[in-house]
Amino acid sequence: MIVESLELRRHVTIGQYVPTGSPLHRMDPRFKLVAFVALVVAVTFTGSYLGNVALLALMGGLILLSRVPARYVLGGLRPALPVLLLLAALQVLLYTPEFTGGEGCVTLFRAWFVHSTTCSVKLAIVSAARFVELLVLTSLLTLTTTTTGLAHGVEHLFAPLQRRFGFPAHELALTLTITLRFVPTFAEELERLIKAQVSRGADMGGASWWRALRRARALLPIMVPLLLGALRRAEMLVLAMEARGYVGGRGRTRLVELRSTPHDAVALLLALLAAAAILTVPWPW
Amino acid sequence: MSRTSPVPLVRLENVHHIYAGSRPVEALRGVSLALWPGEHVAVIGPNGSGKSTLARHLNALLLPTAGDVWVKAWNTKDPRHLQDVRATVGMVFQHPDAQIVATVVEEDVAFGPENLGLPRDELRRRVDWALDVVGMSAFRRRPPHWLSGGQKQRVALAGAIAMRPELLVLDEATALLDPIGRRDVLNAVMRLNRREGMAVVTITHFMEEAALADRVVVMCAGEVVLDGPPHRVFGHAERLRAWGLDLPPVTQLAHRLHALGFPIPPNIVTVEALVEAICRLQVAQGREQHTQKHS
Amino acid sequence: MDTRELVIEVRDLVYTHLRDTPFAVQALKGVDMEVWRGEAVAVLGPTGSGKSTLVQHLNGLLRPQHGRVRVLDYDLSDPNVDVRALRRRVGLVFQFPEAQLFERYVGDDVAFGPRQLGLSREEVRARVREAMEAVGLDFEGFKDRLTFTLSGGEQRRVALAGVLALRPEILILDEPLAGLDPAGRRRLIALLRRLKGERGLTLVLVSHDVDDVVLLADRCFVVADGRTVMAGTPRELFSHPPATLAEFGLRPPSIMTTMHALADRGIPVRRHCLTVDEAADELARALEGG
Repeated sequence: MIVESLELRRHVTIGQYVPTGSPLHRMDPRFKLVAFVALVVAVTFTGSYLGNVALLALMGGLILLSRVPARYVLGGLRPALPVLLLLAALQVLLYTPEFTGGEGCVTLFRAWFVHSTTCSVKLAIVSAARFVELLVLTSLLTLTTTTTGLAHGVEHLFAPLQRRFGFPAHELALTLTITLRFVPTFAEELERLIKAQVSRGADMGGASWWRALRRARALLPIMVPLLLGALRRAEMLVLAMEARGYVGGRGRTRLVELRSTPHDAVALLLALLAAAAILTVPWPW
Repeated sequence: MSRTSPVPLVRLENVHHIYAGSRPVEALRGVSLALWPGEHVAVIGPNGSGKSTLARHLNALLLPTAGDVWVKAWNTKDPRHLQDVRATVGMVFQHPDAQIVATVVEEDVAFGPENLGLPRDELRRRVDWALDVVGMSAFRRRPPHWLSGGQKQRVALAGAIAMRPELLVLDEATALLDPIGRRDVLNAVMRLNRREGMAVVTITHFMEEAALADRVVVMCAGEVVLDGPPHRVFGHAERLRAWGLDLPPVTQLAHRLHALGFPIPPNIVTVEALVEAICRLQVAQGREQHTQKHS
Repeated sequence: MDTRELVIEVRDLVYTHLRDTPFAVQALKGVDMEVWRGEAVAVLGPTGSGKSTLVQHLNGLLRPQHGRVRVLDYDLSDPNVDVRALRRRVGLVFQFPEAQLFERYVGDDVAFGPRQLGLSREEVRARVREAMEAVGLDFEGFKDRLTFTLSGGEQRRVALAGVLALRPEILILDEPLAGLDPAGRRRLIALLRRLKGERGLTLVLVSHDVDDVVLLADRCFVVADGRTVMAGTPRELFSHPPATLAEFGLRPPSIMTTMHALADRGIPVRRHCLTVDEAADELARALEGG
């Protein structure tokens, strides 16, 4: 039997781009972002069972379209499961009809402060469904778009605001780019720090993870150097940017052009129609 | 090379710089210096001598607390010409990771020219040229965090020169690289200086690098203590040692031979010069022996 | 008969990072290495050759996927190895160790390791004093200094003291001289020599810089592309022609490059001088010989 070695980068999937060449990958990031927002709105305001069934079916379709294995897309769900279950339990047991709203709530169980109704059950299920839908949407967005694509998309979308109202579109996009660019760097740094502190006797590996986590002080050997490193790096980055003439977004030009095709417009239209449909249909259940 | 024009690129006039704080530190005490187009200057000195502080005055990252810094016709204190100053004096820093902003190599190189608001075809031209000079054209669409330290520094170098500066400052840019990375960065810098005529100021701990420059400036405790061509500066072995500095290996060798009594000039800085000196010595010895035999 | 104790033995070590993921990379393809007690061994090779991966096996941070790693009396392929006990006897100092400092006061940071061992306060204090003196930082003068007000070189020595406080028998250092100015390098080299000589520590140094290695190492292993390609004393290693060394991303010590240049131009000197002293003596001999 071979013992697991410490490899943090194995678990870093946020911001991970998995190229499969699917239609979703090829979509212009600006259109993708708008479609994403529209669908998020649809998810947020759909409180019915059937509406969420429709949304989940839509998510399934999008996963198929992306050609990324569903197992990988839903992989981010695993660490969140305990929290989800806890939340659902709380909602079912404690949310009163006054809180959940909706008419015709039939009380299923009542004892002391515990009050379960059909409405609270519905809320719990719908909340869980919403979580899955948002996870899938966000994962698909980062799995099918490069970090530069995202940043450029954001910048282009906000550019008119910049021109008219001085909205810091470029600064926003740059913040996004730099954050995403440094995620792998920080993952490596974190791994190195853990290894270094373990090498001089820190108790952090294996079963004692949970024990160590509960003692906040045990995290200091990791958190302090990581934060200091981040601050130092930020300082140096600012110097480098200033040395290269960065004075904000005004007056900047761009090397990269985004070119959209009619396919993008069609895709966006479909997404908007789907979102509108799901929101406006009077789902009976 | 140097002194082709009578007007210096950068002029420091009695520059003082005090870092404020609970215990103020006077990092520069009255530095006056001129830097000329096309020259290759090495700045050496022990830690804390003010080398980095000096470097950051050259492109207005720091302003003097007393005295003036002139870049061409502009005073660095004048905020109206900040971008002009930064477009004229480029800088590469020590840490490869902390200079790269973008997630794709060529987009990072374009960052500087984009800040200048240049049109897209000019951006493309500059990026292509810069990547070619540093030898990183093959990596143009790669993500930077997969590159080695030396490759990252070359990308940072490309990013600095894409602004077409007249003076390039390298603040210990090779200190954290392995020998291969160091060699690649140095070669790129020499190409820029010799082929493209860009003035270069390198701050370095590696004396072999300093020996390659046209001019060596030695700093100690916030002042310039020596300033001249390498063979003159490295001749002051005792003073350099007192300041905690090394000599290039070739110079150490020449110095040792000189101390042993051989008529070899102790301020040799290149292998060629040492070879010449030794050959001359051997010829002289040969003649001596010849004379001895025949007398 | 060899009365020395073999403290580290690596045979045909294979390791792939991020195995079974799309990002898998085979860092080690069959590395061999032996280290005897009390010697200083250098692991040389260009960046990316697998040196760091190799040494991380020596204190159990990584486990062999194939091959054998035996350190002292621990076999790293055994899943039941007491890694914590191993790490008390094998200290690993990472590159730029000053980045791992986190305590406000120097003394506290050095005390971190001993405290984790559960030692008494007096014992911890004694260990901290011992470790700080070993790295040349006066105990009384430095223990209450604010960690982050120290110079880079001093911080590095604090980090080193933090590992020495565990009283390891073997000390592994990954690029110990990286980023130091010449004065700092000289000081650290002298320190490492002292640790080896006075305290009998076995040293394993990972380095891509050969100039320092020749001053410290008794033997070298060259790792290139995940394999051991050369082994021997520094003198044996650098007697290979520069072209051969360059194949493995190595260059000879700077002074040797000068000697090669002199010899190439017909001056009758021995090429393989490792230090300036040797070179000066050799040149003097050649010139006097006339």
